[in-house]
Amino acid sequence: MLLDIQNVEAGYGSAPPVLRGLSLQVEDNRSYCVIGPNGAGKSTLLKTIVGILRPRRGTIRFQGESIEGLRPDEILQKGICFVPQDRSLFPEMTVQENLRMGGFLIRDRRLLRERLDRVYELFPILRDRTNQVAGTLSGGQQQMLALARTLMIEPKLLCVDEPSLGLAPGIVDQVFETLTEFRKQGMTVLLVEQNAVRGLSWADWGFVLDLGALRFEGPADGILENPQIRELYLGRLAARGEE
Amino acid sequence: MNELQVLILGLLLGGVYALMASGLTLLFGVMRVVNLAHAAFIVVGAYGAYFAFELLGLDPFVALGLIMPAFFLLGMGLYRLLFPRIEGSPRFGEMTVLMTFGLALIIEGLLAFYFTGIFRSVDPPYATQAFILGPVFVPRAQLYASLTSVVLLMGLWAFLRMTRTGYAIRATMQNRVAAQVVGVNVRRISTVSFGIGMALAGAAGTLVSFIFTFFPARHWQWIAILLALIVLGGMGSLKGAVVGAVVLAVASSFVSDRIGPTWAPMTFFAALFVTLMVRPRGLFGKEIDR
Ligand SMILES: Nc1ncnc2c1ncn2[C@@H]1O[C@H](COP(=O)(O)OP(=O)(O)O)[C@@H](O)[C@H]1O
Ligand SMILES: [Mg+2]
Repeated sequence: MLLDIQNVEAGYGSAPPVLRGLSLQVEDNRSYCVIGPNGAGKSTLLKTIVGILRPRRGTIRFQGESIEGLRPDEILQKGICFVPQDRSLFPEMTVQENLRMGGFLIRDRRLLRERLDRVYELFPILRDRTNQVAGTLSGGQQQMLALARTLMIEPKLLCVDEPSLGLAPGIVDQVFETLTEFRKQGMTVLLVEQNAVRGLSWADWGFVLDLGALRFEGPADGILENPQIRELYLGRLAARGEE
Repeated sequence: MNELQVLILGLLLGGVYALMASGLTLLFGVMRVVNLAHAAFIVVGAYGAYFAFELLGLDPFVALGLIMPAFFLLGMGLYRLLFPRIEGSPRFGEMTVLMTFGLALIIEGLLAFYFTGIFRSVDPPYATQAFILGPVFVPRAQLYASLTSVVLLMGLWAFLRMTRTGYAIRATMQNRVAAQVVGVNVRRISTVSFGIGMALAGAAGTLVSFIFTFFPARHWQWIAILLALIVLGGMGSLKGAVVGAVVLAVASSFVSDRIGPTWAPMTFFAALFVTLMVRPRGLFGKEIDR
Protein backbone atom coordinates (compact mmCIF):
# COMPACT_ATOMS: atom_id res chain seq x y z
CA MET A 1 0.00 0.00 0.00
CA LEU A 2 1.32 3.42 -0.94
CA LEU A 3 -0.78 5.73 1.20
CA ASP A 4 -2.86 4.80 4.21
CA ILE A 5 -5.03 7.45 5.87
CA GLN A 6 -6.80 6.48 9.08
CA ASN A 7 -9.41 8.50 10.96
CA VAL A 8 -7.93 11.85 10.04
CA GLU A 9 -9.41 14.99 11.50
CA ALA A 10 -8.19 18.30 10.07
CA GLY A 11 -9.34 21.88 9.67
CA TYR A 12 -8.44 25.55 9.76
CA GLY A 13 -7.49 27.59 12.84
CA SER A 14 -9.87 27.00 15.73
CA ALA A 15 -12.88 26.29 13.47
CA PRO A 16 -14.57 22.89 13.67
CA PRO A 17 -12.78 20.19 11.67
CA VAL A 18 -13.40 19.95 7.92
CA LEU A 19 -12.20 16.35 7.64
CA ARG A 20 -14.09 14.32 10.22
CA GLY A 21 -12.49 10.97 10.72
CA LEU A 22 -11.63 10.31 7.12
CA SER A 23 -9.98 7.03 6.11
CA LEU A 24 -8.81 5.95 2.67
CA GLN A 25 -6.11 3.85 1.02
CA VAL A 26 -4.14 4.33 -2.16
CA GLU A 27 -2.29 1.51 -3.93
CA ASP A 28 0.79 1.72 -6.10
CA ASN A 29 0.48 2.38 -9.83
CA ARG A 30 -3.17 3.16 -10.08
CA SER A 31 -5.02 6.35 -10.69
CA TYR A 32 -7.61 7.78 -8.39
CA CYS A 33 -10.25 10.43 -8.69
CA VAL A 34 -11.88 12.14 -5.70
CA ILE A 35 -15.28 13.67 -6.33
CA GLY A 36 -17.75 15.38 -4.05
CA PRO A 37 -19.80 18.55 -3.73
CA ASN A 38 -18.23 21.96 -3.19
CA GLY A 39 -16.95 22.34 0.35
CA ALA A 40 -16.80 18.57 0.93
CA GLY A 41 -13.17 18.86 1.99
CA LYS A 42 -11.41 17.60 -1.15
CA SER A 43 -8.80 20.36 -1.21
CA THR A 44 -8.42 20.10 2.55
CA LEU A 45 -7.67 16.38 2.14
CA LEU A 46 -4.84 17.06 -0.32
CA LYS A 47 -3.40 19.88 1.82
CA THR A 48 -3.40 17.55 4.81
CA ILE A 49 -1.64 14.75 2.90
CA VAL A 50 1.19 17.06 1.79
CA GLY A 51 1.61 18.69 5.20
CA ILE A 52 0.39 22.22 4.47
CA LEU A 53 -2.26 21.44 7.09
CA ARG A 54 -1.49 19.39 10.16
CA PRO A 55 -4.04 16.73 11.04
CA ARG A 56 -5.48 17.19 14.51
CA ARG A 57 -6.02 13.48 14.89
CA GLY A 58 -5.47 10.25 13.01
CA THR A 59 -2.54 8.78 11.11
CA ILE A 60 -1.18 9.10 7.60
CA ARG A 61 1.31 6.47 6.43
CA PHE A 62 3.25 6.67 3.21
CA GLN A 63 5.02 3.45 2.21
CA GLY A 64 4.54 2.26 5.74
CA GLU A 65 6.13 5.32 7.29
CA SER A 66 4.17 7.71 9.43
CA ILE A 67 4.20 11.20 7.84
CA GLU A 68 1.54 13.15 9.72
CA GLY A 69 3.13 16.14 11.44
CA LEU A 70 6.07 16.32 9.04
CA ARG A 71 6.79 19.61 7.27
CA PRO A 72 5.76 19.98 3.59
CA ASP A 73 9.40 19.87 2.44
CA GLU A 74 9.99 16.64 4.37
CA ILE A 75 6.90 15.04 2.85
CA LEU A 76 7.96 16.17 -0.63
CA GLN A 77 11.35 14.59 -0.02
CA LYS A 78 9.59 11.30 0.62
CA GLY A 79 7.96 11.50 -2.80
CA ILE A 80 4.56 13.18 -2.54
CA CYS A 81 4.06 16.15 -4.84
CA PHE A 82 1.15 18.58 -4.92
CA VAL A 83 -0.36 20.83 -7.56
CA PRO A 84 -2.81 23.17 -5.79
CA GLN A 85 -6.06 24.44 -7.23
CA ASP A 86 -4.60 27.89 -8.02
CA ARG A 87 -1.51 26.25 -9.71
CA SER A 88 0.80 28.10 -7.28
CA LEU A 89 3.48 29.28 -9.65
CA PHE A 90 5.98 32.04 -8.95
CA PRO A 91 4.43 34.76 -11.10
CA GLU A 92 7.51 36.99 -11.36
CA MET A 93 9.93 34.18 -12.19
CA THR A 94 10.52 32.82 -15.68
CA VAL A 95 9.36 29.40 -16.86
CA GLN A 96 12.89 28.08 -16.40
CA GLU A 97 13.20 29.56 -12.90
CA ASN A 98 9.86 28.02 -11.95
CA LEU A 99 11.06 24.62 -13.14
CA ARG A 100 14.34 25.02 -11.27
CA MET A 101 12.38 25.94 -8.14
CA GLY A 102 10.46 22.70 -8.72
CA GLY A 103 13.79 20.97 -8.22
CA PHE A 104 14.63 23.06 -5.15
CA LEU A 105 15.36 19.94 -3.12
CA ILE A 106 17.88 18.65 -5.66
CA ARG A 107 21.35 19.88 -4.78
CA ASP A 108 23.18 18.01 -7.54
CA ARG A 109 23.47 20.49 -10.43
CA ARG A 110 23.98 17.81 -13.07
CA LEU A 111 20.88 15.96 -12.03
CA LEU A 112 18.93 19.23 -12.03
CA ARG A 113 20.10 19.93 -15.59
CA GLU A 114 19.13 16.41 -16.73
CA ARG A 115 15.67 16.68 -15.23
CA LEU A 116 15.19 20.09 -16.81
CA ASP A 117 16.14 18.74 -20.24
CA ARG A 118 13.72 15.86 -19.81
CA VAL A 119 10.88 18.21 -18.86
CA TYR A 120 11.57 20.30 -21.95
CA GLU A 121 11.52 17.13 -24.06
CA LEU A 122 8.07 16.23 -22.76
CA PHE A 123 6.80 19.82 -22.88
CA PRO A 124 8.20 21.53 -25.98
CA ILE A 125 5.81 24.45 -25.46
CA LEU A 126 7.66 25.25 -22.25
CA ARG A 127 11.03 25.13 -23.97
CA ASP A 128 9.77 27.75 -26.42
CA ARG A 129 8.83 29.99 -23.51
CA THR A 130 11.73 29.28 -21.23
CA ASN A 131 12.47 32.96 -20.56
CA GLN A 132 8.89 34.14 -20.33
CA VAL A 133 7.66 35.30 -16.93
CA ALA A 134 5.12 32.79 -15.56
CA GLY A 135 2.55 35.43 -14.65
CA THR A 136 2.12 36.28 -18.34
CA LEU A 137 1.36 32.70 -19.50
CA SER A 138 -2.19 31.69 -20.45
CA GLY A 139 -4.23 29.62 -18.00
CA GLY A 140 -3.55 26.41 -19.92
CA GLN A 141 0.18 27.08 -20.13
CA GLN A 142 0.28 27.83 -16.41
CA GLN A 143 -1.40 24.50 -15.64
CA MET A 144 1.08 22.69 -17.91
CA LEU A 145 3.96 24.43 -16.14
CA ALA A 146 2.55 23.51 -12.74
CA LEU A 147 2.27 19.86 -13.81
CA ALA A 148 5.66 19.86 -15.51
CA ARG A 149 7.26 21.34 -12.41
CA THR A 150 6.37 18.24 -10.40
CA LEU A 151 8.42 16.11 -12.82
CA MET A 152 11.58 17.78 -11.51
CA ILE A 153 11.12 15.71 -8.35
CA GLU A 154 9.79 12.53 -10.01
CA PRO A 155 7.35 11.88 -7.17
CA LYS A 156 5.82 8.50 -6.43
CA LEU A 157 2.47 10.06 -5.60
CA LEU A 158 1.11 13.14 -7.33
CA CYS A 159 -1.85 14.99 -5.80
CA VAL A 160 -3.57 17.31 -8.28
CA ASP A 161 -6.38 19.66 -7.30
CA GLU A 162 -8.88 20.46 -10.06
CA PRO A 163 -6.45 20.90 -12.91
CA SER A 164 -9.20 21.54 -15.46
CA LEU A 165 -10.68 24.47 -13.55
CA GLY A 166 -11.28 27.42 -15.84
CA LEU A 167 -9.67 25.87 -18.91
CA ALA A 168 -11.10 25.55 -22.42
CA PRO A 169 -12.17 21.99 -23.40
CA GLY A 170 -9.26 21.50 -25.80
CA ILE A 171 -6.78 22.40 -23.08
CA VAL A 172 -8.55 20.11 -20.62
CA ASP A 173 -7.84 17.24 -23.05
CA GLN A 174 -4.16 18.15 -22.96
CA VAL A 175 -4.18 18.17 -19.17
CA PHE A 176 -5.65 14.67 -19.05
CA GLU A 177 -3.20 13.43 -21.69
CA THR A 178 -0.40 14.76 -19.51
CA LEU A 179 -1.78 12.96 -16.47
CA THR A 180 -1.96 9.75 -18.52
CA GLU A 181 1.67 10.25 -19.51
CA PHE A 182 2.61 10.68 -15.84
CA ARG A 183 0.86 7.38 -15.09
CA LYS A 184 2.93 5.65 -17.76
CA GLN A 185 6.05 7.00 -16.09
CA GLY A 186 5.05 5.05 -12.99
CA MET A 187 3.47 7.80 -10.93
CA THR A 188 0.39 7.19 -8.85
CA VAL A 189 -2.02 10.06 -9.37
CA LEU A 190 -4.61 11.21 -6.85
CA LEU A 191 -6.83 13.62 -8.74
CA VAL A 192 -9.52 15.88 -7.33
CA GLU A 193 -11.97 16.84 -10.02
CA GLN A 194 -15.20 18.86 -10.14
CA ASN A 195 -15.88 17.51 -13.61
CA ALA A 196 -16.86 14.12 -12.19
CA VAL A 197 -17.63 12.38 -15.46
CA ARG A 198 -14.36 13.43 -16.98
CA GLY A 199 -12.32 12.57 -13.90
CA LEU A 200 -13.96 9.20 -13.29
CA SER A 201 -13.68 8.09 -16.90
CA TRP A 202 -9.96 8.82 -16.70
CA ALA A 203 -9.27 7.13 -13.33
CA ASP A 204 -9.24 3.48 -12.25
CA TRP A 205 -10.76 4.04 -8.85
CA GLY A 206 -13.10 6.65 -7.44
CA PHE A 207 -13.65 8.15 -4.00
CA VAL A 208 -16.82 10.02 -3.13
CA LEU A 209 -16.27 12.58 -0.38
CA ASP A 210 -18.99 14.45 1.44
CA LEU A 211 -19.06 16.42 4.69
CA GLY A 212 -15.45 15.56 5.39
CA ALA A 213 -15.73 11.79 5.22
CA LEU A 214 -15.53 9.04 2.63
CA ARG A 215 -19.08 8.10 1.55
CA PHE A 216 -18.28 5.57 -1.14
CA GLU A 217 -15.43 4.08 -3.10
CA GLY A 218 -15.13 1.64 -5.96
CA PRO A 219 -14.01 1.10 -9.54
CA ALA A 220 -14.43 4.41 -11.34
CA ASP A 221 -16.71 3.13 -14.11
CA GLY A 222 -18.91 1.46 -11.49
CA ILE A 223 -19.44 4.79 -9.76
CA LEU A 224 -20.56 6.38 -12.98
CA GLU A 225 -23.16 3.64 -13.40
CA ASN A 226 -24.26 3.24 -9.78
CA PRO A 227 -27.78 4.72 -9.72
CA GLN A 228 -27.69 5.52 -6.01
CA ILE A 229 -24.44 7.49 -6.24
CA ARG A 230 -25.64 9.16 -9.39
CA GLU A 231 -28.71 10.37 -7.60
CA LEU A 232 -26.99 11.41 -4.38
CA TYR A 233 -23.74 12.94 -5.55
CA LEU A 234 -23.35 12.76 -9.28
CA GLY A 235 -26.62 14.33 -10.37
CA ARG A 236 -25.49 17.90 -10.01
CA LEU A 237 -21.86 17.16 -10.69
CA ALA A 238 -22.51 15.10 -13.80
CA ALA A 239 -24.83 17.75 -15.10
CA ARG A 240 -22.07 20.32 -14.61
CA GLY A 241 -19.49 18.08 -16.18
CA GLU A 242 -21.55 17.44 -19.27
CA GLU A 243 -22.34 21.10 -19.85
CA MET B 1 21.65 76.93 -2.16
CA ASN B 2 21.87 76.14 -5.84
CA GLU B 3 19.77 73.31 -7.33
CA LEU B 4 22.70 71.00 -7.89
CA GLN B 5 23.74 71.30 -4.26
CA VAL B 6 20.24 70.52 -3.01
CA LEU B 7 19.99 67.59 -5.39
CA ILE B 8 23.30 66.11 -4.23
CA LEU B 9 22.37 66.37 -0.57
CA GLY B 10 18.98 64.82 -1.33
CA LEU B 11 20.54 61.90 -3.22
CA LEU B 12 23.02 61.21 -0.44
CA LEU B 13 20.20 61.20 2.09
CA GLY B 14 18.14 58.94 -0.20
CA GLY B 15 20.87 56.32 -0.25
CA VAL B 16 20.77 56.06 3.53
CA TYR B 17 16.96 56.07 3.70
CA ALA B 18 16.96 53.24 1.15
CA LEU B 19 19.10 51.11 3.43
CA MET B 20 16.98 52.03 6.45
CA ALA B 21 13.83 50.95 4.59
CA SER B 22 15.21 47.81 2.94
CA GLY B 23 14.91 45.55 5.98
CA LEU B 24 11.39 46.77 6.66
CA THR B 25 10.14 46.06 3.15
CA LEU B 26 11.97 42.72 2.91
CA LEU B 27 10.27 41.51 6.06
CA PHE B 28 6.89 42.67 4.84
CA GLY B 29 7.47 40.90 1.54
CA VAL B 30 8.44 37.58 3.10
CA MET B 31 6.18 37.45 6.14
CA ARG B 32 3.51 40.13 5.65
CA VAL B 33 4.74 41.61 8.92
CA VAL B 34 4.97 45.38 9.33
CA ASN B 35 7.78 45.59 11.85
CA LEU B 36 7.02 48.81 13.73
CA ALA B 37 10.14 48.19 15.83
CA HIS B 38 12.40 48.38 12.77
CA ALA B 39 13.47 51.98 13.41
CA ALA B 40 13.90 51.25 17.12
CA PHE B 41 16.44 48.62 16.11
CA ILE B 42 18.12 51.20 13.90
CA VAL B 43 18.46 53.37 17.04
CA VAL B 44 19.94 50.38 18.89
CA GLY B 45 22.45 50.00 16.05
CA ALA B 46 23.34 53.67 16.38
CA TYR B 47 23.97 53.23 20.11
CA GLY B 48 26.10 50.22 19.28
CA ALA B 49 28.24 52.33 16.97
CA TYR B 50 28.34 55.10 19.57
CA PHE B 51 29.72 52.87 22.31
CA ALA B 52 32.06 51.07 19.94
CA PHE B 53 33.50 54.51 19.13
CA GLU B 54 33.51 56.01 22.62
CA LEU B 55 34.60 52.98 24.62
CA LEU B 56 36.63 50.94 22.15
CA GLY B 57 37.74 53.68 19.78
CA LEU B 58 36.35 51.79 16.77
CA ASP B 59 35.51 53.71 13.64
CA PRO B 60 31.85 53.16 12.61
CA PHE B 61 33.00 51.37 9.45
CA VAL B 62 34.87 48.87 11.62
CA ALA B 63 31.94 48.59 14.02
CA LEU B 64 29.73 47.79 11.02
CA GLY B 65 31.54 44.49 10.63
CA LEU B 66 30.62 43.54 14.20
CA ILE B 67 27.15 45.03 14.43
CA MET B 68 25.75 43.38 11.29
CA PRO B 69 26.48 39.77 12.31
CA ALA B 70 25.42 40.47 15.90
CA PHE B 71 22.10 41.87 14.67
CA PHE B 72 21.66 38.96 12.28
CA LEU B 73 21.88 36.50 15.17
CA LEU B 74 19.74 38.69 17.40
CA GLY B 75 17.08 38.83 14.68
CA MET B 76 16.97 35.07 14.22
CA GLY B 77 16.72 34.56 17.99
CA LEU B 78 13.99 37.14 18.32
CA TYR B 79 12.02 35.54 15.51
CA ARG B 80 12.23 32.13 17.16
CA LEU B 81 11.20 33.61 20.49
CA LEU B 82 8.24 35.69 19.32
CA PHE B 83 6.70 34.34 16.14
CA PRO B 84 6.16 30.56 16.18
CA ARG B 85 3.36 30.80 18.72
CA ILE B 86 1.28 33.22 16.64
CA GLU B 87 1.98 31.73 13.21
CA GLY B 88 -1.09 30.29 11.60
CA SER B 89 -3.40 32.40 13.73
CA PRO B 90 -6.22 34.00 11.77
CA ARG B 91 -5.32 37.28 13.54
CA PHE B 92 -1.62 37.04 12.62
CA GLY B 93 -1.52 40.47 10.94
CA GLU B 94 -3.13 42.34 13.84
CA MET B 95 -1.05 40.47 16.40
CA THR B 96 2.24 41.34 14.74
CA VAL B 97 1.33 45.03 14.59
CA LEU B 98 0.62 45.08 18.33
CA MET B 99 3.63 42.93 19.13
CA THR B 100 6.14 45.01 17.17
CA PHE B 101 4.60 48.23 18.51
CA GLY B 102 5.10 46.88 22.02
CA LEU B 103 8.62 45.85 21.15
CA ALA B 104 9.39 49.40 19.97
CA LEU B 105 8.11 50.81 23.28
CA ILE B 106 10.16 48.34 25.29
CA ILE B 107 13.35 49.13 23.36
CA GLU B 108 12.79 52.86 23.70
CA GLY B 109 12.16 52.47 27.43
CA LEU B 110 15.28 50.39 27.98
CA LEU B 111 17.47 52.79 25.98
CA ALA B 112 16.12 55.78 27.90
CA PHE B 113 16.61 54.00 31.22
CA TYR B 114 20.21 52.98 30.60
CA PHE B 115 21.51 55.74 28.32
CA THR B 116 19.17 58.68 29.17
CA GLY B 117 17.50 60.89 26.61
CA ILE B 118 20.60 62.92 25.75
CA PHE B 119 21.08 63.71 22.06
CA ARG B 120 24.09 61.83 20.78
CA SER B 121 26.08 61.36 17.63
CA VAL B 122 29.35 59.75 16.69
CA ASP B 123 32.15 62.12 15.72
CA PRO B 124 34.78 60.46 13.55
CA PRO B 125 37.13 63.02 11.91
CA TYR B 126 35.28 62.93 8.58
CA ALA B 127 31.96 63.83 10.23
CA THR B 128 32.64 67.53 9.81
CA GLN B 129 34.65 67.53 6.57
CA ALA B 130 33.52 68.01 3.00
CA PHE B 131 34.91 67.74 -0.52
CA ILE B 132 34.60 70.97 -2.47
CA LEU B 133 33.92 70.39 -6.17
CA GLY B 134 33.59 73.72 -7.90
CA PRO B 135 30.27 75.26 -6.86
CA VAL B 136 29.15 72.37 -4.64
CA PHE B 137 30.31 70.72 -1.48
CA VAL B 138 29.91 67.03 -0.69
CA PRO B 139 29.94 66.19 3.01
CA ARG B 140 32.30 63.26 3.50
CA ALA B 141 30.20 61.53 6.16
CA GLN B 142 27.07 61.58 3.98
CA LEU B 143 29.04 60.43 0.96
CA TYR B 144 30.61 57.48 2.77
CA ALA B 145 27.30 56.49 4.39
CA SER B 146 25.48 56.65 1.10
CA LEU B 147 28.12 54.69 -0.81
CA THR B 148 28.13 52.02 1.89
CA SER B 149 24.34 51.79 1.62
CA VAL B 150 24.61 51.30 -2.12
CA VAL B 151 27.20 48.55 -1.69
CA LEU B 152 25.09 46.77 0.94
CA LEU B 153 21.94 47.02 -1.18
CA MET B 154 23.78 45.64 -4.20
CA GLY B 155 25.03 42.81 -2.04
CA LEU B 156 21.47 42.10 -0.92
CA TRP B 157 20.26 42.20 -4.52
CA ALA B 158 22.96 39.78 -5.65
CA PHE B 159 22.22 37.49 -2.71
CA LEU B 160 18.52 37.37 -3.58
CA ARG B 161 19.23 36.77 -7.28
CA MET B 162 22.08 34.32 -7.18
CA THR B 163 21.97 32.08 -4.14
CA ARG B 164 19.74 29.15 -3.33
CA THR B 165 18.55 30.83 -0.14
CA GLY B 166 17.96 34.03 -2.11
CA TYR B 167 15.75 32.16 -4.56
CA ALA B 168 13.85 30.61 -1.67
CA ILE B 169 13.29 34.05 -0.12
CA ARG B 170 11.98 35.49 -3.39
CA ALA B 171 9.81 32.43 -3.94
CA THR B 172 8.29 32.86 -0.48
CA MET B 173 7.66 36.55 -1.22
CA GLN B 174 5.88 35.72 -4.46
CA ASN B 175 3.74 32.84 -3.23
CA ARG B 176 4.12 31.33 0.21
CA VAL B 177 2.09 28.19 -0.50
CA ALA B 178 3.91 27.59 -3.78
CA ALA B 179 7.20 27.85 -1.93
CA GLN B 180 6.03 25.16 0.49
CA VAL B 181 4.86 23.03 -2.41
CA VAL B 182 8.33 22.95 -3.98
CA GLY B 183 9.99 22.13 -0.68
CA VAL B 184 11.06 25.46 0.76
CA ASN B 185 11.04 25.36 4.55
CA VAL B 186 9.21 28.65 4.95
CA ARG B 187 9.76 28.85 8.67
CA ARG B 188 13.52 28.64 8.17
CA ILE B 189 13.30 31.22 5.39
CA SER B 190 11.27 33.55 7.63
CA THR B 191 13.87 33.17 10.37
CA VAL B 192 16.75 33.95 8.02
CA SER B 193 14.84 36.88 6.52
CA PHE B 194 14.21 38.31 9.98
CA GLY B 195 17.93 38.00 10.64
CA ILE B 196 18.77 39.76 7.38
CA GLY B 197 16.22 42.49 8.10
CA MET B 198 17.82 43.06 11.48
CA ALA B 199 21.35 43.06 10.06
CA LEU B 200 20.20 45.77 7.64
CA ALA B 201 18.70 47.74 10.55
CA GLY B 202 22.00 47.42 12.43
CA ALA B 203 23.94 48.60 9.39
CA ALA B 204 21.59 51.53 8.88
CA GLY B 205 21.93 52.44 12.57
CA THR B 206 25.71 52.41 12.33
CA LEU B 207 25.62 54.76 9.33
CA VAL B 208 23.08 57.20 10.75
CA SER B 209 25.05 57.38 14.00
CA PHE B 210 27.47 59.87 12.42
CA ILE B 211 25.15 61.73 10.06
CA PHE B 212 22.19 62.35 12.38
CA THR B 213 21.80 63.01 16.08
CA PHE B 214 19.82 60.35 17.85
CA PHE B 215 18.11 59.65 21.16
CA PRO B 216 15.79 56.84 22.32
CA ALA B 217 12.55 58.35 20.99
CA ARG B 218 14.04 59.26 17.61
CA HIS B 219 12.68 56.04 16.06
CA TRP B 220 9.08 57.34 15.91
CA GLN B 221 10.04 59.96 13.39
CA TRP B 222 12.11 57.49 11.39
CA ILE B 223 9.52 54.73 11.26
CA ALA B 224 6.94 57.26 10.03
CA ILE B 225 9.26 58.36 7.25
CA LEU B 226 10.17 54.79 6.33
CA LEU B 227 6.54 53.67 6.20
CA ALA B 228 5.71 56.61 3.94
CA LEU B 229 8.45 55.78 1.50
CA ILE B 230 7.79 52.05 1.33
CA VAL B 231 4.10 52.70 0.77
CA LEU B 232 5.09 54.99 -2.11
CA GLY B 233 7.44 52.38 -3.54
CA GLY B 234 5.07 49.47 -2.91
CA MET B 235 5.08 47.39 0.28
CA GLY B 236 7.34 44.38 -0.05
CA SER B 237 9.23 45.64 -3.09
CA LEU B 238 12.95 46.31 -2.62
CA LYS B 239 13.14 48.25 -5.86
CA GLY B 240 10.19 50.29 -4.60
CA ALA B 241 11.93 51.04 -1.30
CA VAL B 242 15.01 52.35 -3.12
CA VAL B 243 13.02 54.47 -5.59
CA GLY B 244 10.68 55.74 -2.85
CA ALA B 245 13.64 56.64 -0.64
CA VAL B 246 15.52 58.55 -3.31
CA VAL B 247 12.47 60.37 -4.68
CA LEU B 248 11.24 61.47 -1.26
CA ALA B 249 14.68 62.35 0.09
CA VAL B 250 15.31 64.61 -2.90
CA ALA B 251 11.81 66.09 -2.67
CA SER B 252 12.19 66.75 1.05
CA SER B 253 15.56 68.40 0.62
CA PHE B 254 14.05 70.78 -1.93
CA VAL B 255 11.14 71.50 0.39
CA SER B 256 13.58 72.07 3.22
CA ASP B 257 15.65 74.47 1.13
CA ARG B 258 12.85 76.43 -0.53
CA ILE B 259 10.14 76.47 2.14
CA GLY B 260 11.95 75.69 5.36
CA PRO B 261 13.40 72.71 7.25
CA THR B 262 10.36 72.37 9.50
CA TRP B 263 8.32 71.43 6.43
CA ALA B 264 10.66 68.65 5.24
CA PRO B 265 8.95 65.82 7.16
CA MET B 266 5.63 66.94 5.71
CA THR B 267 6.88 65.87 2.28
CA PHE B 268 6.75 62.25 3.40
CA PHE B 269 3.26 62.41 4.83
CA ALA B 270 1.92 64.32 1.86
CA ALA B 271 3.36 61.58 -0.38
CA LEU B 272 1.77 58.94 1.87
CA PHE B 273 -1.68 60.48 1.55
CA VAL B 274 -1.40 60.99 -2.18
CA THR B 275 -0.18 57.41 -2.72
CA LEU B 276 -3.01 55.94 -0.67
CA MET B 277 -5.58 57.99 -2.57
CA VAL B 278 -4.25 57.57 -6.09
CA ARG B 279 -2.46 54.22 -6.17
CA PRO B 280 -2.67 52.34 -2.88
CA ARG B 281 -0.35 49.56 -3.97
CA GLY B 282 2.45 52.04 -4.67
CA LEU B 283 4.82 52.24 -7.61
CA PHE B 284 6.10 48.66 -7.68
CA GLY B 285 3.74 46.92 -5.26
CA LYS B 286 1.45 44.01 -5.98
CA GLU B 287 -2.20 43.77 -5.07
CA ILE B 288 -2.16 42.32 -1.59
CA ASP B 289 -4.17 39.14 -1.33
CA ARG B 290 -4.99 37.44 1.97
N1 LIG C 1 -8.10 28.56 4.16
C1 LIG C 1 -9.26 28.25 4.77
N2 LIG C 1 -9.57 28.81 5.94
C2 LIG C 1 -10.73 28.49 6.57
N3 LIG C 1 -11.65 27.63 6.08
C3 LIG C 1 -11.40 27.05 4.90
C4 LIG C 1 -10.18 27.33 4.17
N4 LIG C 1 -10.19 26.60 3.04
C5 LIG C 1 -11.35 25.91 3.05
N5 LIG C 1 -12.07 26.18 4.16
C6 LIG C 1 -13.37 25.58 4.51
O1 LIG C 1 -13.24 24.20 4.53
C7 LIG C 1 -14.35 23.56 3.94
C8 LIG C 1 -13.90 22.59 2.86
O2 LIG C 1 -13.18 23.30 1.86
P1 LIG C 1 -12.40 22.59 0.70
O3 LIG C 1 -11.55 21.53 1.27
O4 LIG C 1 -11.72 23.66 -0.07
O5 LIG C 1 -13.59 21.94 -0.14
P2 LIG C 1 -13.59 21.39 -1.62
O6 LIG C 1 -12.21 21.43 -2.15
O7 LIG C 1 -14.14 20.00 -1.49
O8 LIG C 1 -14.54 22.26 -2.39
C9 LIG C 1 -15.25 24.66 3.40
O9 LIG C 1 -16.33 24.82 4.28
C10 LIG C 1 -14.39 25.89 3.43
O10 LIG C 1 -15.15 27.03 3.77
MG1 LIG D 1 -11.33 22.52 -3.69
